[in-house]
Amino acid sequence: MGVYSGVILPLVLVVSGVLALVGLMTLFLPRLHRVLGIATAATYAAVAVHLVAVIVVLATGNAAGLVLTLGYLLASVALLPLLGIGRLGTPEAAAGDADPDRPVLAPDQIARVDGGAAVVIAITLAVLAWRVLEILEAGA
Amino acid sequence: MNPIVRIVIVVLYAVLGLAATGRSVYQVLTKFSEAPLPYTLSAVSAVLYVAIAIALWRGRRTFALWGTAIELVGVLTVGTLGYLAPALWPDHTVWTGYGSAYGWVPLALPVAALVMLVRDRRDRRARAARAAVEPAAPSGTLS
Repeated sequence: MGVYSGVILPLVLVVSGVLALVGLMTLFLPRLHRVLGIATAATYAAVAVHLVAVIVVLATGNAAGLVLTLGYLLASVALLPLLGIGRLGTPEAAAGDADPDRPVLAPDQIARVDGGAAVVIAITLAVLAWRVLEILEAGA
Repeated sequence: MNPIVRIVIVVLYAVLGLAATGRSVYQVLTKFSEAPLPYTLSAVSAVLYVAIAIALWRGRRTFALWGTAIELVGVLTVGTLGYLAPALWPDHTVWTGYGSAYGWVPLALPVAALVMLVRDRRDRRARAARAAVEPAAPSGTLS
């Protein structure tokens, strides 16, 4: 639990903060889209490390509610595909869809959409990680 | 509709839908009898969020307009009743305190979505009106 609250949670919060910051900057500077891709990859890794760490904490005798804790973890994993959602707006992706309302985005618009989504997801991931900490602390 | 704003709003609705779905499934499955009204409303809000996210993505504007309007009425009603009749609410819903537990996003989001959808409807009507007038313009210029 000490390693979780002292290392893993701060790691997730820092990565979320960086993701939010890079996302915000990408909204105004679309050329930072490549950097956002790196931050997104780091976020995937941080969420995976967080997932493993929480399972280890639960397996080593923490009495936290299993359904609630795993529910929050599942939610944080389910959010990840929303990072880089701008890819759904590429002309290639839209060409395969008969829907006339399907948005087709220019490269700078894709970068801005990804930036906006990154800000939303980063805040949500940080809140979820914080909630998991509260649940684990209550069960410790 | 501005595609960037539209997709970011879709993402926000998807996140809220996920949060409300998780919350309501847990509440309904584990302690529904303790607070049936708040937990039912949590489930309704979850369905509404997911439906609006899909409607906005698929361009179902009328559905999205009605959905966001219902959502806004729900947030305002539940938020106000939470202060006027607290006995009705033994536990919190997503809309309690005007969505304060979710950073007031449940209150701000339908307002933002409604502004976007109403502007879009107005622009579409203006374009349709222009398109209806334009074919007559060449004959008008000849006279």
